[in-house]
Amino acid sequence: MNSPPEAIIRLEGISKSFGSIFANRDITLDIRPGRIKALLGENGAGKSTLMSILSGRLRPDEGRIRIDGVPFAALSTRQSIDAGIGMVHQNFMLVEAMTVAENIYLGLRHRRVLSRAQMAERVRSLAEQYGLYVDPEARIDSLSMGERQRVEILKLLIRESRVLIFDEPTAVLTPQEIDQLVSAMRQMAAQGKAIVFISHKLGEVMTIADEIAILRKGAVVAEMPAAAVQSTAALARRMVGREVLLRVEKPAVEPKQVVLRIETLSDEVLDRISFSLRQGEILSLVGVAGNGQKRLVEIVCGLRAPGAGKVTLLGRDWGAFFAARRWEGALSYIPEDRQRLATCANLDLTDNFLLTTREGFCRGPWLDRTEAAAKAAELVRQFRVHPSDPDTRARQLSGGNLQKLVLAREFFRRPRLIVAEQPTQGLDIGATEEVWSILLKARERAGILLVTGDVQEAVTLSDRIAVIYGGRIVDLFSAEDESHLSRIGALMAGISG
Amino acid sequence: MIEMRYPTVSRRTAPLGWGSMMVVAGAIALSLAAGAAMLAAHGKAPLTGIWLLFYGGFGSGWALEDSLLKAIPIFLCSLGVGLAFRLQVWNIGAEGQFALGAVGAAWPALTFPQLPAILLIPAMMAAAMIAGGLWGMIPGLLKTRLQVNEIIITLMLNYIGILLLDYLCYGPWKDPVSFGFPMSPTFSPHAVVGTIGSSRIHWGLFFCIGFGVAMWIFLRFTRLGYELRASGENPLAAHYAGLPYRRLVVMVMVVGGGLAGCAGFLEASANINRLQPSIMVGYGYTAIIVAWLARLNPLQIAVAAYLLAGLRVGVENLQLDLQVPAAFGGIVEGLILLSVLAGGFFNHYRLRFRSRS
Repeated sequence: MNSPPEAIIRLEGISKSFGSIFANRDITLDIRPGRIKALLGENGAGKSTLMSILSGRLRPDEGRIRIDGVPFAALSTRQSIDAGIGMVHQNFMLVEAMTVAENIYLGLRHRRVLSRAQMAERVRSLAEQYGLYVDPEARIDSLSMGERQRVEILKLLIRESRVLIFDEPTAVLTPQEIDQLVSAMRQMAAQGKAIVFISHKLGEVMTIADEIAILRKGAVVAEMPAAAVQSTAALARRMVGREVLLRVEKPAVEPKQVVLRIETLSDEVLDRISFSLRQGEILSLVGVAGNGQKRLVEIVCGLRAPGAGKVTLLGRDWGAFFAARRWEGALSYIPEDRQRLATCANLDLTDNFLLTTREGFCRGPWLDRTEAAAKAAELVRQFRVHPSDPDTRARQLSGGNLQKLVLAREFFRRPRLIVAEQPTQGLDIGATEEVWSILLKARERAGILLVTGDVQEAVTLSDRIAVIYGGRIVDLFSAEDESHLSRIGALMAGISG
Repeated sequence: MIEMRYPTVSRRTAPLGWGSMMVVAGAIALSLAAGAAMLAAHGKAPLTGIWLLFYGGFGSGWALEDSLLKAIPIFLCSLGVGLAFRLQVWNIGAEGQFALGAVGAAWPALTFPQLPAILLIPAMMAAAMIAGGLWGMIPGLLKTRLQVNEIIITLMLNYIGILLLDYLCYGPWKDPVSFGFPMSPTFSPHAVVGTIGSSRIHWGLFFCIGFGVAMWIFLRFTRLGYELRASGENPLAAHYAGLPYRRLVVMVMVVGGGLAGCAGFLEASANINRLQPSIMVGYGYTAIIVAWLARLNPLQIAVAAYLLAGLRVGVENLQLDLQVPAAFGGIVEGLILLSVLAGGFFNHYRLRFRSRS
């Protein structure tokens, strides 16, 4: 590394507060072309606020933003785009009813009219150039989260953004997809683009980043070249200010009765899926996004009727189970899409808590909201959701805090069958560990179907692992079976034998 | 050097709170200004026109009473459509449900005129609310069973409902001594909801208060009210949480129809004392504007219903004094709705003018 290139963006003493809470405090950072910079920090460390300031959505209270040396007190969205700053958000901003190519060209100023075919062609070649494979003609609502992210990235590439900011980009990806993303990031950096990626996954920060800036409670507490970091543990210590254990105890639990049985379940997506899940065990379903996990979860959780085959939940047939729909002691579903599926953004925390627990607070036709508010407040404190005021609207919560709220609510229902979809996605280390130990504890009275793209998570938590590919379970084995574990990657990629 | 000021838009981090009242006030002011411009273009004195509008609607005891009288049916219809809107069900059928309510009320009034008021009035009210409710139930069932768009069905049912009312007034229920006018015989005194004291205001005002309070209690303290609020906020989450979405859709349509039907009953009984086509003056459509102005909140619906009723009364005054066409009122109503909806932008975003050096 020679003398560092001139910074495209220089943040000087940026501060931003919301009410009495500092989201950013005196932040100074350089973002340079050709470099991959990681912003590492726990939930609520101020990463998202900083990025909103860069994208022109928030105005800092203090400090300056220099772009190519020109100082700004704040950026407008337009100025941010003109400066070549582009963001890949954690929650994708795509028009679901439109195709990939249409989304990519949406809002793009073009001198001449382009035909659909030309748009698709342009997108296809760009996608190939960076190894971001996605069908330009596909509608967004048919895509997996991983594929949607590629569309977001392509949107920036076609605009020739100079600074690409990724907000927890690997959270929704499987190992193969992460590899593709990393190589795309490297290619972009090699072409002189500045890459910023926000994460709290230590391992990937170490492997991907050139430079690491650590944020804690709104301030940059350390900044260093990735090469200067001795170990993941050292990084973790600086990030959370305390030692964290990346291992959890997995006490042995005797598997009891079957809580979920699926027999030769088939439809247009799924292909003869069969397995059973017992109380006392965690069964992980791992696979690359878009291989049928979503469909399977929708069926198990009653959002979609099963096609051919048989699904039995807690000893009852699918139809009977969902007709009865008991709120307590039955099924809890912790979905991947917390914002849209599991919560109502404009309702407060108590109302969101009531969403699946309302039956527990009914007195005839009346709803005892006072009691519910007290219980919600207690759980919010217990699960350390911030802000903890139950009158807060759900949309004011960060992704991690929203997940904690959903978990608090779903575990309050004392479920006997839990379907957890990417439960630690977007959570910091502390919260991830908490969720993991909660799940392991819940296993004593429940069977857990854990749908995850994070193989590490699957291996850490599971008793058994099922690999899904092309709507089929290609292998199902014990989590202690080393020979199978080593082949997970290949199985997920559809290479069997 | 000329300093350039750039407008920039940013998302609000804190809710607007009381400022939203200012947005509504601004939107109404803007609509009235546009109305004044229209008057000027018509060769009328614009300021005089706006003054006459205000004076006519709110300037005298008689006007205030008249506005309140018109606010009663608007409020009831608006309470009903507002409930449906909360669920994101677009019930624009209050007009037709109102017509069915008037028809429903007229049936016992014309069939059993000798019944004592203590029996006849409740029978009329029940018949009106059942007729209106059933009229609302049709689009509700079509939407939930066959996925038919409720906007189209409710709109079309308005015409059918009004034509049914016309048919009865021209045909079977026509007063034999009406000299050919399409109207039913006058209701017997037993079928008339009386007035409060010496005022012209009828007891329907108390129905409004009762239904308004009941609605507030329902939304705030009952399980079904909660389920309705949550389903309206996020239908996807409703599906996730197993909320009875389809039952709720039918329920809001039936309740909305019942409330509009009650409005029809009060108009027929207390105001006109008979059934006739001129009972249909578009309260059901004004109710939609009122619901949006009030952002679906029952108390605010009361305020907005009164304001728009005042506008109607004021426009009548304007018609007499300046020979302004009757459509003027409808145009101003439309302008108010559009500017309030556009003003909703400021509830979520702020606009600033900033200079760039």
